[in-house]
Amino acid sequence: MQAKWISKKELKKLLTAWTKHYLVYAPIDNDHELAFQMVKEPARIVVDGYSNTRYPAKSLFLPQSEVLMKYDGILHSVENTEKEKILFGIRPCDAHAMQLLEHALVDVENPDLYWKQKRESAIVISKACIAPEETCFCTAVGGSPFNTADSDVLLVEMGEDYCVYVLTEKGISLCKELPDAEDTQLQAVKKLTKKVVGRMPVLLPKQELHNALMASFETEFWKDVSQSCLGCGVCTFLCPSCFCFDIVDETVRKERVRNWDTCMFRTYSLEASGHNPRPTKVERTRQRIMHKFAYWVDLIDEIGCTGCGRCVKYCPVNIDIREIAEKALHREFEGMKK
Amino acid sequence: MKNCYEPFPMHIERIVIETTDTTLKSFELTFDREADRKDFFVKYNPGQFCQLSIFGKGEAPIGIASAAWEGDFVRFTVQKLGKFTSAIHAMHVGDPIGMRGPLGNGFPLDKWKGMNILVIGGGCAFSTLYAMTKHILHPSHRADYAEITALYGTRNSGLCLYKPVIEEWHNRNDIVVHQAIDVPEDNWKYHIGFVPAVLEEMAPKPDNTVAVLCGPPVMTKFTLPILTKLAFPPERIYTSLEKRMKCGVGHCGRCNIGHKYVCKDGPVFTLKELQELPNEI
Amino acid sequence: MPTTRDQKIQAEAKRLLQEGVVDVVIGFTKGTLPYKMQPCFIQHAEDVEQLELNGLCSNNLAVYLNHRPKDERTAIVVRGCESRAVQTLVLENRHARENLYLIGVPCIGILDLQKIQQHEQDPVLAIQEEGDQVHVTLKSGEKTFQRSEILHNACLHCNHPLPVNADMIIDEAGLFEERTFDKSYLESFRSLSLKERYQEFTKEAERCIRCYACREACPMCYCEECFVNHSRPQWVDSTIDPAGQQAWHIIRAFHQTGRCVSCGACERACPMNIKMTYLTDLLNQDMFKEYDFEPGLDPALMPPFLALGEDNEKFGVGPEGSHAG
Repeated sequence: MQAKWISKKELKKLLTAWTKHYLVYAPIDNDHELAFQMVKEPARIVVDGYSNTRYPAKSLFLPQSEVLMKYDGILHSVENTEKEKILFGIRPCDAHAMQLLEHALVDVENPDLYWKQKRESAIVISKACIAPEETCFCTAVGGSPFNTADSDVLLVEMGEDYCVYVLTEKGISLCKELPDAEDTQLQAVKKLTKKVVGRMPVLLPKQELHNALMASFETEFWKDVSQSCLGCGVCTFLCPSCFCFDIVDETVRKERVRNWDTCMFRTYSLEASGHNPRPTKVERTRQRIMHKFAYWVDLIDEIGCTGCGRCVKYCPVNIDIREIAEKALHREFEGMKK
Repeated sequence: MKNCYEPFPMHIERIVIETTDTTLKSFELTFDREADRKDFFVKYNPGQFCQLSIFGKGEAPIGIASAAWEGDFVRFTVQKLGKFTSAIHAMHVGDPIGMRGPLGNGFPLDKWKGMNILVIGGGCAFSTLYAMTKHILHPSHRADYAEITALYGTRNSGLCLYKPVIEEWHNRNDIVVHQAIDVPEDNWKYHIGFVPAVLEEMAPKPDNTVAVLCGPPVMTKFTLPILTKLAFPPERIYTSLEKRMKCGVGHCGRCNIGHKYVCKDGPVFTLKELQELPNEI
Repeated sequence: MPTTRDQKIQAEAKRLLQEGVVDVVIGFTKGTLPYKMQPCFIQHAEDVEQLELNGLCSNNLAVYLNHRPKDERTAIVVRGCESRAVQTLVLENRHARENLYLIGVPCIGILDLQKIQQHEQDPVLAIQEEGDQVHVTLKSGEKTFQRSEILHNACLHCNHPLPVNADMIIDEAGLFEERTFDKSYLESFRSLSLKERYQEFTKEAERCIRCYACREACPMCYCEECFVNHSRPQWVDSTIDPAGQQAWHIIRAFHQTGRCVSCGACERACPMNIKMTYLTDLLNQDMFKEYDFEPGLDPALMPPFLALGEDNEKFGVGPEGSHAG
């Protein structure tokens, strides 16, 4: 890892220069709503002052709707036309989530090429969070506002400058012109990191939580926590680490497409026979939480939630995943009916 | 690199109406491309399934009902149930169809070498058991296993799959076949009653034996306790699960039970494995 | 003696549970965030103190009648729109009125977080309501709003803030007066050219992420299988391309004609801030013009499209059947 330094003014120039050689995706302000979009006018990039985009950055690699194949008597895969691109300004929680998605979608035998090609063609420049929101809890699930996972470069806003951590070869190629950070500057970054992280929630004991959730599986706990759930897809669609999808034939366009799907929908697990292993919102809510806090731990010994807080912030009925985890951890299900 | 979502082109070579109510048909598919055929047979292990694909109707995971030695085709026995299966039932010999696979783990046939095998099937779920039994009965494999016993139950005799072959099995001396129907019929020579009851009556010995169970959920539910009662240990009871699936390769999420995906880690599980997973079948 | 609105609600809920009149009281309680309230389901008299009602209660609680057992004796804290949704659900045989007990509250309106939080970069940290005034702490500093400035549009355009056919009314002043049907805010949209109207509609629908929060938040959307999920045949394009997004919004609105109670719960649930009540209000305006009908106001009057047979010329004056029994 290298630590470099750049002024805000210089970074803007650099961003403009990059747009000439790469496709650059960055947070753009659309009617007061931030979204990752391809940059046409560098001046419209929102560089500072935001917490995160509402719509998750995963959409750049696993688009909500994506044509997989075209049909002309048989199905042909669409060609890979991915160009090298820069993803600027993604938050560490969302970058961390890409590691989880990589694990879910790419295995040796059957890699998801659509994801893989998009992911490999991207240089990820993430931005540390110096002012996390009230709904942020990355530190509780093993992340940090300064997490470097899955980033090529991590920027830390330091007053009128940025400290630039260059993490990979890809990152070096972009930042080689920048001067190294001085020791006093790095000390200041360290101090800031400590201050910001110190205000964040403490780490959840993942194995203990896993065990508690497994023990809660058949109790009325889930009836209780899912009671107000409406059954919409907000929590999962906005989640940076949810990856479930559906494959659908669009016959008019003669395309086989995939769309994000969600375990919160009734049709998701409904079988042709009419049997549904998750017939009500009780089982579906349980699946969402168990997947993140138990099944991921079984699989890779990591929690599958990166603490971005979108589901907390945008749930129409304020179902709060942090609260459910806490309740499970405190074994509130004990004594509840099976 | 291969796109794991792209089906390869196949054609329907033969269609057999299996049951008198015509809701079950077997489709034998052949490969359009030699490379696909090679690739398939290198990987294929009985107990696996394929995603069959008809553009406009989507895909459906169907268990493979043929043994590799039968020829350069792949058999699927399909019950007419939903959008996809109704479409394939309307298809004819010579029609093109897409296929992805083989998918899933299949039965651990190597692990079972030297053991007795008790095959328990019900209704249309017998298809992969049929493929497995055929595989084992082949002269070059039969000596690898000890006694083979099969119990196959259907609601009535008309709903029995693969009738000519099963008839032939009755006359072989290297397999013991028990057949059962739910209610008496004229000229029925075999058992009357539900699979769990017949199994209990048969009282197979658990020693050095694996029990392989595939059937409708209700049959599975009532047969497992009988096997346990007969002292079959859970690590020697195998079953194959069905779930709604889309990708078939463990990416799309929907067929999980706990941290296992039925499409990738299954569809074959031991009872012991299932007991360690959340109860959500 | 209970004095505040919340205390009065709590006292009534307590009585209902203690006397065994109902099994559950559905209301709102404090959420986990300073700007959120959450629905709650009180089953024990000792828990009634959790019940609160304020301008941050953004859902329509009638929606839960579609989730809960039909034979459950249920009390619901209802504002005007929620009571009208309950009426409509009862008319559509979703619930038996005798199993329901409506604790009516004259409405003070629902606050629109989007109007408070002008920029995503400036999140709301705390909200304090004080009569007509609302004090808000934003990341950028304190701000005081007049309630009317930051009301949700559905509440600004509400004609009937008083609960209909409630079993009791909490004796507190609401914020609005009842008024005769007035959706004049739609005139600016109606006056646009066809092309401009389509542009307006497109601008909203194109943000749709097909999460169906609007559907699930709506008491009137209770179909076991929604048209948009139907697969044999598949009616609507499944993707987030305009064809699918627009078909969803248009057909959803049409299914609400003469049924939508204009509560705006759909818009408040939408994670993408898509405006959609204008569509159902436009259709309801037509229903008012044609049939003099407003959803949920008359507990005996079926919505026209449910009541009209092929030979009915005019709603309400036709043969038997246009009135529910």
